[in-house]
Amino acid sequence: MTLMNFIYGFLAVLGAFVFQTSLTGINRKVTARLQKRRGPKWYQQFIDIFKAFSKSSITHGWVYDFGAIMALGGIAATVIFIPVAGMQAFPGLDNIFVISYVLAVGMLGMAMSAAGSGNPWASIGVSRALTNMLAYDIPFMVVVFTLIYQHNTGSVSELASIQQGVGILGWNFFKLPLGGIVSVIALFGMLGKKPFDSFIAPAEIASGPMVEYGGKQLGMMFTLHELMTFIEVSLILNLFFGGGETLLIYMVKYAILYTFTNIVSGVMPRFKIDQAVTFFYKVPLGLAFIQGLLVIYLGWGY
Amino acid sequence: MTMIFIFLGLSLLLSYVLSRKQPTLGAYFTIIASLAGLISVYLLRNSVGVTESFYYLNFQITTIGWYFAMILLTVYFTSAFFNPFWMDELIYPAAYNSLYLLSLVGTIGLFFAQDLMTLFICWETAVWSSMLIVQQGKSRQAAWVYFVISAIGSMSTLFAVLLTMYLSGTSEITGALTYFTTAPVAGALVFGAFILAGLTKIGIFPFHVWLPLAHGSAPHTFSPVLSGGLVKMGAYIAYLSVAVFPAYQVFGDSLKIQGVPLPIYGLMILGAASIVYGTLRAIQQEDAKRLLAYSSVANGGYILIGILMMDQMAFAGGLMHLLNHAVASAAAFLAIAAVAKRTGTTKMSELGGIIHRMPITYTVYLIAIISMAGIPPMGGFVSKWLIFQGLSEKGLILLATAAAFGSIGSYMYVFRPLSAVFLGQLAPKYEHIKEANPVMVTAMLILTAMSLLLGVLPNLVLKTIAKIQIELGINPIIVNGTATLTENGSVDMLQVFTVFGFGFLLILILFMVLPKSRRVGLMDTYTSAEFIHTPELLHYGHSFYAPFERLYEKWPSVLPLYKRMSMKLSELGEWAESFFFHPDPNRAVLWIVVVAIVVIIGGAQ
Repeated sequence: MTLMNFIYGFLAVLGAFVFQTSLTGINRKVTARLQKRRGPKWYQQFIDIFKAFSKSSITHGWVYDFGAIMALGGIAATVIFIPVAGMQAFPGLDNIFVISYVLAVGMLGMAMSAAGSGNPWASIGVSRALTNMLAYDIPFMVVVFTLIYQHNTGSVSELASIQQGVGILGWNFFKLPLGGIVSVIALFGMLGKKPFDSFIAPAEIASGPMVEYGGKQLGMMFTLHELMTFIEVSLILNLFFGGGETLLIYMVKYAILYTFTNIVSGVMPRFKIDQAVTFFYKVPLGLAFIQGLLVIYLGWGY
Repeated sequence: MTMIFIFLGLSLLLSYVLSRKQPTLGAYFTIIASLAGLISVYLLRNSVGVTESFYYLNFQITTIGWYFAMILLTVYFTSAFFNPFWMDELIYPAAYNSLYLLSLVGTIGLFFAQDLMTLFICWETAVWSSMLIVQQGKSRQAAWVYFVISAIGSMSTLFAVLLTMYLSGTSEITGALTYFTTAPVAGALVFGAFILAGLTKIGIFPFHVWLPLAHGSAPHTFSPVLSGGLVKMGAYIAYLSVAVFPAYQVFGDSLKIQGVPLPIYGLMILGAASIVYGTLRAIQQEDAKRLLAYSSVANGGYILIGILMMDQMAFAGGLMHLLNHAVASAAAFLAIAAVAKRTGTTKMSELGGIIHRMPITYTVYLIAIISMAGIPPMGGFVSKWLIFQGLSEKGLILLATAAAFGSIGSYMYVFRPLSAVFLGQLAPKYEHIKEANPVMVTAMLILTAMSLLLGVLPNLVLKTIAKIQIELGINPIIVNGTATLTENGSVDMLQVFTVFGFGFLLILILFMVLPKSRRVGLMDTYTSAEFIHTPELLHYGHSFYAPFERLYEKWPSVLPLYKRMSMKLSELGEWAESFFFHPDPNRAVLWIVVVAIVVIIGGAQ
């Protein structure tokens, strides 16, 4: 652990932010085209974030601020753990469980900050967000367990590099198609894309956890959302789509995957939260179990 | 070692005498006594293998016994800081203080017991003394249920102890239990009886019923001991019945699932059921203490699965989870007790916004739940990580799924008290409460520091666990500096912590550089154009997860079954009683004569 590691880590956070925020901007245009609008400029998302940073803001007490810092800090740390095209700021810290649990620090911080604002809408949003998490994470975890069993490693970068070098059919998405489908569905839940976006439902519960934020705290929440998207898409990309041999390939694959979720989300209605739970425990969990049993007892996918 | 028992025995008498004069003084004495116990047991760390006898009781120092005893003493020591402040709420303060120390003697004796009879006597001492303490809490019925379920465990232990001593001809634990490698059928019976005692004590589904009742209604100062400490007695029995008792050899011929014999796999499934059941029930609770009690049911499942695995990773994870859960759960219970001391309630919907009056207690609770939910950089993460790695390495996918469910479900239930008790709107009636007493704060901060230390430097404990694994002849967990290595993954928690700190620092700087925020009141929030002036109405604390709870609120419960069983049992008792006890004295004389005849005939043969 030298100073260089930390500098790389800082650059990783910055790069992830710039890349994902641009992509979000482009995808705002894509969504607009789906709805027969022209859409904002591609760099509109940057403008929104920096405008929020510069505005005056309010605070509801120390936990409101501390939670926001803890959330964004935790998410920034998670970005540093993510291997991108074989590159890592801190080699050896990319265990899948470490990543998914450090991510939870950020989520807990956000939930804490939101509930600390004293607004009941925020608490309802948090309650839905946590329920949503319980729904999508279980099928995804079953698939992850299967992957670890199959390859005998829990390191994300190793799992990604195993898939490389044999072309598109080496990807886990094609070797374990059921697991691949489950994880892409879970990605929709993770990203809060429709049909699993009831926890931020703007017209219904006034944006849920985000309701009280303004000024710099809102800017931090926007940034957090971009970084979290980067982590989640990268995780699925590394586990099921072979990561990337080079940075360019990684970014192209990433852009395609993210745009895909965005387009599908654009034409979806919204599940109620209990419907989302029932759905995840019926279809994706069933598929994930079938996949797991096929791999463990029949040796499929080797 | 005998000296420790004599010392604790004398100090329990002394605390009784002191408490009769001045209850608070006796309570302070329990802190000193448990601290002395903690230090003297710690000093025994290098005398593994030493045996000592005290009249009929035989003790031996083992690494595992030392590890368990240290966990228990830590919990007893820190919870004792709360005792002085609850003396005026107890009916029998003197009895409470001396029973507190008596249950400590019983549990430590259990962990150091060398022979089966000592094991049983210590077990009973701990169970009875804790039962009498639970009785002093909110509900007598809770003590009854605790007693009955414990009695099942006690009876099956006694059966196993007597059968083992009869068959093997020795009472020394290791010698007696290893005898069963040559007698698998009797071995299966003894294993079943022993593990039943373990299951009832850990509170594994379907024997969990006593746990929420007893933990939820015991005096606030004793709930942390019950949940963080006494439950671990069951874990020790589970350890004895799978690691000392040659369970994997005895069941060597049975059907194996991914290398695990079917009976042991069945027990693991019970562990998994406890995880899922405990999680779902904890999510439903409206009382903070009962919620934490159900979380103990869930965590007991992890511990049981981990210990039963007997491998490099999950076994180490299970043993470490014992300590992590003890520390975190004690801290969480103590934090809730501190709130209850100031507000007089543990019902979540009646509280709210306590953070603005008790920030330290809030921080303690926060760190405790981060550890309990298994989020880095706290201790709970490391142990759950090891269990996950172990389960996925063996391909035990069903158990792993239950473990994941419990882990993510725990975010839901631990956040409940955080949000409803500490965050949200502060009710005007709690406007003037103060932070907890400095003595209580000290105890809570000790536990908080431990949670953090266990998370950042888990190898301090994993070293001891590796020693235990070597003694058992299984592949030990590898510790290298600050890194923890396993067959299918590694983690360096110090680095994780540093990177996390780095991320936090970056954002803190960003936050500081940006324009300063204006402080507004809690009622100054967006309310969709409604005018609400009552803070209580703006507090979202009741039925927090209503849509999710609705999905399983109609699921069957085991409680009606137990109620029907107890009804039938008491009817049977009345029926039997009706033969012997009757207003007519002739009936009594008749039975005396019958018994006398039977005795005489029986004696003649």
